[in-house]
Amino acid sequence: MNKISFTVNGKKHTINCEQAESLRSVLVRLGYQSVRDSDDKEGFAGSDTIIYNDVPVYANLMLAQQAEGAEIRTAESLGTSRNLHVVQQAMIDAGVVQSAYNAPAAALLLAWLLEHESNPTQAQIDEVLSGIFIRDTGYEHYYLAVKLAVEKMQSGSYKSEISPTFRENLTYVGKPKGKVDGPQLVAGESSFVEDRVLPGYHTMVLLRSPYAHAYITKIDTSKALAMEGVVSIITHENCPDVFYMQAGQGNPEPSPHDRRLFNRKVRHVGDRVAAIIAETEEQALAARAAIKVEYEILKPIFTVEEAMAEGAPLVHNGVVEYRAGAPADLDQYNKGADPRDGKVIYQFPLHGDIRHNVASAAHGKIGDVEKGFKEADAVVERTYQTSQIQCTPLEPHICYAKIDGGRLVLHASTQVPYHVRRIVAWVCQIPENKIRVIKERVGGGYGSKQDILVEDLVGYATWITGKPILYRNTREEEFVANSTRHPMRVTVKMGAKKDGTITAVYMDVRANTGPYGNHCLTVPMNACSKTLPLLKCDNMKFDVITYYTNIPPTGAYQGYGAPKGTYGLMTCMAELADELGIDYYEMAMKNKVEPGYMLEILKGLGEGREGKVVPVGSCGLDEALTKGAKMIKWGKKEQSDDPDWKIGKGFAMIQQGSGLPGLDHSNAWAKLLTDGTFQIFSGGADLGTGLDTISAKMISEAFCVPMDLVTVTSGDTDSCTFDTGAYASSGTYFSGGASFLAAEDLKKNLLDEAAYQMQEKAEDLILRAPGEVYSTKTGKTLSYAKLSHDALTGTGRGQVMGRASFTTGHNSIPYGAHFVQVAVNVRTGQVKVQKYYALQDAGTPINPELALCQMYGAALKSIGHTLYEEMILDENGVCLNPTLGEYGVPMISEKPEDFQAVLIDINDEVGPYGAKSISEIATNGAAPAIAIAIHDAVGVWMRNWPFSPEKILKELGKI
Amino acid sequence: MIQEYLVATDTEDALKLKRNKNKSVFYAGGTEINRLHSNVDAKVAISLAKLGLDTITDEGSYIRIGSMVTLQKLVESALVPQWLKDAALFCGSFTRRNMATIGGNLALMSDQSYLAPALLASRCRLLTANLTEGGAYSEDNIPIREYHAYHQQFSGTLILAISLSKDSRYVGTKRFSNSAQNSAAVTVGFGATQNSEQVVDHVRVFAAVHGSSVQRLNAIENAIENGELTTPADVQLAVHQAVAALDDFVGSSAYKRYIASEGLAQLFAEFLKGGVK
Repeated sequence: MNKISFTVNGKKHTINCEQAESLRSVLVRLGYQSVRDSDDKEGFAGSDTIIYNDVPVYANLMLAQQAEGAEIRTAESLGTSRNLHVVQQAMIDAGVVQSAYNAPAAALLLAWLLEHESNPTQAQIDEVLSGIFIRDTGYEHYYLAVKLAVEKMQSGSYKSEISPTFRENLTYVGKPKGKVDGPQLVAGESSFVEDRVLPGYHTMVLLRSPYAHAYITKIDTSKALAMEGVVSIITHENCPDVFYMQAGQGNPEPSPHDRRLFNRKVRHVGDRVAAIIAETEEQALAARAAIKVEYEILKPIFTVEEAMAEGAPLVHNGVVEYRAGAPADLDQYNKGADPRDGKVIYQFPLHGDIRHNVASAAHGKIGDVEKGFKEADAVVERTYQTSQIQCTPLEPHICYAKIDGGRLVLHASTQVPYHVRRIVAWVCQIPENKIRVIKERVGGGYGSKQDILVEDLVGYATWITGKPILYRNTREEEFVANSTRHPMRVTVKMGAKKDGTITAVYMDVRANTGPYGNHCLTVPMNACSKTLPLLKCDNMKFDVITYYTNIPPTGAYQGYGAPKGTYGLMTCMAELADELGIDYYEMAMKNKVEPGYMLEILKGLGEGREGKVVPVGSCGLDEALTKGAKMIKWGKKEQSDDPDWKIGKGFAMIQQGSGLPGLDHSNAWAKLLTDGTFQIFSGGADLGTGLDTISAKMISEAFCVPMDLVTVTSGDTDSCTFDTGAYASSGTYFSGGASFLAAEDLKKNLLDEAAYQMQEKAEDLILRAPGEVYSTKTGKTLSYAKLSHDALTGTGRGQVMGRASFTTGHNSIPYGAHFVQVAVNVRTGQVKVQKYYALQDAGTPINPELALCQMYGAALKSIGHTLYEEMILDENGVCLNPTLGEYGVPMISEKPEDFQAVLIDINDEVGPYGAKSISEIATNGAAPAIAIAIHDAVGVWMRNWPFSPEKILKELGKI
Repeated sequence: MIQEYLVATDTEDALKLKRNKNKSVFYAGGTEINRLHSNVDAKVAISLAKLGLDTITDEGSYIRIGSMVTLQKLVESALVPQWLKDAALFCGSFTRRNMATIGGNLALMSDQSYLAPALLASRCRLLTANLTEGGAYSEDNIPIREYHAYHQQFSGTLILAISLSKDSRYVGTKRFSNSAQNSAAVTVGFGATQNSEQVVDHVRVFAAVHGSSVQRLNAIENAIENGELTTPADVQLAVHQAVAALDDFVGSSAYKRYIASEGLAQLFAEFLKGGVK
């Protein structure tokens, strides 16, 4: 141990540190928790940024001993949640504080910049943010945040518009009002799971498979178990014989129960082999090294083509069971089952055939596609391949669990607290009342935290040991043992008349689900269900088949299957337009759906059940296309001054959903507190996108009170009521819808109580600012505080509360169009995204500044998927690039030069105050728009993402 | 993994510590030594922070850049030529540029080096310090090509400074990666002089190829000097045949050979046009 002294935020510290201890570790030990870690010392993500002797550095890349005598500043130096620095406040106001895991670091960098440059240029902002990875909001509004901060510092108030506003008759809805949890997040205060861990916790680490496909023939944990500090080791030999599914979907899940906590057969490199629980991490790691495992190695398969091949190795060859709808020949089907493979249990038929590696399948059609193709003047059939993509949340998957009052309490970073409770109860074989799940702030989810990837094991380990246990994925584990985007092969056949009228469309989707069937039916189906309904065509057919392989696991990812389906469908339409010699934009305008058009295709696109045919409702597609075409100057050929760079334009029509009508369910309740303030309890899981802010606005709007008089409690299974969770773009529409209805119910009950107390008729009473009941008949007023006080006296009638659930069969589909201009270097294959215009109809954007930032974030993320990101496996299934840098996430340098998000103003008839969903849809446009723009620039069609320079050069015939 | 951290009091102390401590390494910015998946296998870090090697000075006929000067200081210095600023900016992260040093980046001589191809192409000289076998302290001034060619033999040598001649010389560098902070497939450096009679001389051609080290393409240099390669197309074809490359996750060997040849051909074209000095 070495003693070092330094100053942090003006306070002198003298502390003992280990020789090899990082500076970040020491700072966290001293309580500076804003210095977070997203990359395990890669020196990439910047969550660990500090100011060291007035220079920004990564604390994780420094040894603590270097800091002798240093002056250090962390984000804690800026301000607290109750007294924010001007930059922190500006970041909240600009909408960039969302999942916010490294928002404190970004605030520190920008504050430092403003200390050195009072009015920085965009280039200077780009430079200081070049070392920080922003996944959620796409960087663009950071310029606005700096501008707002400069204005505030110079004149005491903001001069710039933060965002457009919507619904002039409303005070809070449709206005940028800041995010209710923004202050604590940007100040770096306790927010995340890691901030809730109490001293005395135990650590869990996992031993993972080095093989992609193998049986564990022998596992010896005796030596490891005897080591100091080791509490328990869980393997396939002593884990519960319970089959389940990690996908956090509605129950019963449209995904097979095809795994236990540990399986005798490992199915991907990184699959679980053993969990080691010890008093310290060092002890757990040492014990892990002492476990001896013998494997019988099997031939792995990695692609759909390998999985489809005759005689292919079977990833699952165990007993198949059905909880409902078992086929008559099931006994015969199971005759060849290998018991070492365990079981695959379908909740209901998904048309899987594991003896051919098929996890699920779906088929459907409307009209007669063969007839439609015969009527066409031109038909093209093209295949588009997508790669395996990682969600890369800044906060890795983490869970901290403990026993409290005989119950299992899980602090989770999850999008689905109620599914966590149900699945952990199932795995532990205990009733749900024995479990409490507390969803903490989520430092990025993007779908990967819809799956119960760590809570199942941490919950079980805590339940059997009785010890408080912390588990956190390493960044490498995030890549190899986490949900990723399913690789897909999408074949589209499309026919059209000479005038561009589409006569028939056929989509053949072959998806790769990897080792387990998380979302194996629904993600691939979304490739069709979120794309085909964009087109006005009477003859459409789809086949969707999902295969098991030995790649790292797949699951939910923002956009679900839609980005892949949109890539195939829109690019194929552009290829057909090219073949016909007509303008792609004219073809899109001719074939796009319009309000009132009956979406017959939806009948075959339910998620494991028959879908409901509905007409197109609120729809901003036409306006998005018209406005986008004007912005990008569609039809005008741009020329570069440099002959090596060719410029092209493209666009794509996009749609998504707003939750799952008929499947999703949200609840909320609210109460009037004794002093006339409010508390609302939402079952919804705010994963950083502002759902809690929406709940607060529902109360504020209904009761004419400022948002800081409303407290939101959400994601706690003890105090809140059930919600299916934050996925499928359901947050605003479903959970927000429940909060809206709960506020309305509370309002009705409050007016009833007011009528009683005021001796008036409820219909004569209105609610008005600053928080009182007003009689339009007598002019009398009654403050909420007095009303509540009197309701709660010894003669009162009880606390005023409201409750509601929200379900609907209505499809409130968000629409949009993304336009892009790219420059392609014909000598190097490099692509620059010069312009990117995302135009979307979100109904009423309740939090417009957050909505815009989510559009920027999703669009940049999908630009990353399109051009840079890809998990690369070797011939043994080992991921060769499991770091953020080598994997290739886009940073500020990859942001489009001209990046604009535009909200199309359309009011929806069902959503709360007319709202629809916003962010998932924004991941759908980049791939087809960029593919089409590249073709416009250099004449080659890119049919395999990511469009790397190497692939472009190959298409150009250079290599 | 570093298990012991020592702060050298002067250069001789640094060299003695290096010699006496098994598995020791000179510690500059620490960005490579401490980072995830570091290739540096060392247990003892010898900090150079107190040696005063972090200045850039104008020495009349040359610029002296201390080995502890950070990449960001290179970018900000008025004394540093543009080609070296360009190379420093290949490190896309401002925060990392504040930590990584010119000496550290050069000493690793990695296939991912931001600076090595450019510095090698520049024909700069290195001011180094050593201990003789008997333990006597000595300093030397060596051409950088020597440091590259015999890199393993310099493991005990401390780079004190980089000396950049102010003589007129073209130096250019290019880096090719999918995104700015993705691993580079190839980084190339080209340097040459051209006198008033249009004679091309002192040509240096280097390519850092992912998985295949920092390569000097001597044959190309000679062929250009001898007038056998006179056009960018000539250079492109010759480099394509000469450069070594392997298939790996960053790119195929075909791509790496192509892009190295394309990059060097572009630099040669720029040189012929009288590009940046």
